[in-house]
Amino acid sequence: MPKSAVLALDPVLLSAAKFDDEPQWLTDLRQSSWDKAKELALPEFAKINYRHWPLLEFAQDGQTNTNIPDDIQAETESYNFVSVGKTTVKSAIPDDLVKQGVVFCDLQTAAKKHAELLSKYLFTKAIKPDEDRLTAVNASLMDSGVFLYVPHDVSIKEPISLLQVQDSRQKTNFVNHNVIVTDDNSSVQVLQRTETIGDAENPASVAVEVISGPGSHIKFSSLDSLSEKTNAYFNRRGHLEKDSEIDWTMGVLNDGNTIADFDSDLKGTGSHAEVQTVAISTGKQTQGIDTSVTNYGKHSEGNILQRGVLLEKSALVFNGVGKIIHGAHGSKAQQENRILMLSPEARGDANPILLIDENDVIAGHAASVGRVDQKQLYYLMSRGLTKEVAQRLVILGFLGVVLTEIPIAAVRNQMIAMIERKLINGQRTE
Amino acid sequence: MSTLKVTDLHVSVTDEEEKTEREILKGVDLTINTGETHAIMGPNGTGKSTLSETIMGNPNYIVTQGDVTIDGESILGKPVDERARLGLFLAMQYPAEIKGITNAEFMRAAINSRRADDDQISIRSFLKELDKNIKTLNMTEEMTERYLNEGFSGGEKKRNEILQLMMIKPKFAILDEIDSGLDIDALQVVAQGVNEMASPDFGTLMITHYQRLLNYIHPDQVHVMMDGRIVKTGDASLAEELEEKGYAGLRDELGIDANLVDDDVDQTADATGNGDD
Ligand SMILES: Nc1ncnc2c1ncn2[C@@H]1O[C@H](COP(=O)(O)OP(=O)(O)O)[C@@H](O)[C@H]1O
Ligand SMILES: [Mg+2]
Repeated sequence: MPKSAVLALDPVLLSAAKFDDEPQWLTDLRQSSWDKAKELALPEFAKINYRHWPLLEFAQDGQTNTNIPDDIQAETESYNFVSVGKTTVKSAIPDDLVKQGVVFCDLQTAAKKHAELLSKYLFTKAIKPDEDRLTAVNASLMDSGVFLYVPHDVSIKEPISLLQVQDSRQKTNFVNHNVIVTDDNSSVQVLQRTETIGDAENPASVAVEVISGPGSHIKFSSLDSLSEKTNAYFNRRGHLEKDSEIDWTMGVLNDGNTIADFDSDLKGTGSHAEVQTVAISTGKQTQGIDTSVTNYGKHSEGNILQRGVLLEKSALVFNGVGKIIHGAHGSKAQQENRILMLSPEARGDANPILLIDENDVIAGHAASVGRVDQKQLYYLMSRGLTKEVAQRLVILGFLGVVLTEIPIAAVRNQMIAMIERKLINGQRTE
Repeated sequence: MSTLKVTDLHVSVTDEEEKTEREILKGVDLTINTGETHAIMGPNGTGKSTLSETIMGNPNYIVTQGDVTIDGESILGKPVDERARLGLFLAMQYPAEIKGITNAEFMRAAINSRRADDDQISIRSFLKELDKNIKTLNMTEEMTERYLNEGFSGGEKKRNEILQLMMIKPKFAILDEIDSGLDIDALQVVAQGVNEMASPDFGTLMITHYQRLLNYIHPDQVHVMMDGRIVKTGDASLAEELEEKGYAGLRDELGIDANLVDDDVDQTADATGNGDD
């Protein structure tokens, strides 16, 4: 089994990650994952080589800084949940949801107050702690995160929004784990926003388990903008039961190296996932995004739509993995991965990977890596637009197929604003 | 008054495959003042689009000699967007299609590119202006919400070029074969749009293969171009003369050694039936 030279797992890390008054079952989960971590291999993602990244170089004496900056404080009003590093700044949902039995709190609170419920879903259905070294490390060292549970037949109209801030004002670990569960026939929209404050160099490990019970529906959106100094590992995993649906819209807009593993397991008959990602790489960063959908259930359907843009000397890899397991009759899997490069020094790669072990299916794929069409740029500029504005219009047009699909208007606008900001910064140095 | 002046312009293009340079324009002289309407007529392949694209600043065309100035200042060193903001507009023979950008959004960005950051056009006045112009051009509001030229028919693209012209209000407009692909009704509508632009602060250079367009937009001057040069200049009656003699007739009369493609040799100027609108 290949081991990485970057692995430096000191037992001190394990005890430092523990929550105050942590229940024994959670400590046991950490310990058993920890024991396996060293022997487990790093996950393989086609064409993404991240082995030399300091993804596991955690701070041994990771400090906690409980001072909350004013600009984060100012933003708390727009979110249901805000955390900075391990510190929960805000956690609130409307009273009527509490009355209907909705559970919403940070992981530490959930482990104590909702132990039975949390332990049923935490690292049991979606992500397994012993899949690979990165999931094992997340399970051992998780130090922040949210638990959201929506009981059966409850429909939450207003989106539940999370702002999770990596605290890099000093060497601090950020091992974040979230669990979102919808029970039978319920529905919810969730927005997860991740960002970094401070400019210390730290790794980040962010996992989200989304478990959709029978007939339930989840719209999950995320916007990631971790800093240039962060080496990030994201794992977002859907576990879909019978006739449930998850719509993912993910904006991977980090400034540093990123490995993102986005999976949907279509376990139940008639389950359905729509996965849409937008990624922008700038500077010298590499972002590798491995998006997969696995059809287990009969008549299940999974569609992947990915759009990426590269500037400067950056790299971006989109893998679209469509797996159809034997027995998944009448299932569908479609995917489209497209990359646009603005700079001759950028490196883009779009790989459809189809692994189909069933005849009675409909599957298809499209992929392309291209450059901005000079005729289009000339046309726009001939009406007076500067090259920069013309490029941004062409890019936003290219990303448009994903952007227009984002279900929550506020998220869509926020995503567009963040994309523009990242493009403007990237263009400045071109 | 502003003046657009082309002096002894020589332009080459590179042949991608053979890696050779070929001279297309061989010394063009032309002066257009605001308030004037000029027409350039000429057989296919003679360099009319090359002239328009070179004035606009298409980087594929290499100026080897001569100059293009606006009010005495050379624009050859300026990129296309700067020329546009100086007041040049080219209604292109083959406009690009761009997915994901709506027509309306694009026109607003184009208008705003000419304005200061603290003086951007309000959505209200933009929409009012847009509404007025689409009525003139017999276009639907739906077309302004469609992606830029995407899936537009040839005729729709031409109208859309004129819509942009009317919204942007440049000083000088070059209309490259704005009549091709239009039936008579559409041609009248487009001509009406161009005629509405008429003002002492607006000059037009129409490029056409056929005399027909000039029945709807009346030129002050007509220039005939052959083999990369302007070979004859006159008033509107020159177009009629050309209609009678055809390009071959004029070529022989002037004693020019220029190759004409077949359809120009038997051309009767009253060509019809190429509309798809
Ligand atoms: N971008 C270009 N690259 C190579 N050759 C070109 C290019 N544009 C025009 N030409 C050539 O220049 C000549 C003149 O073309 P053009 O200016 O389009 O003529 P017109 O508009 O009068 O029909 C033609 O032989 C054409 O093939
Ligand atoms: Mg032409």
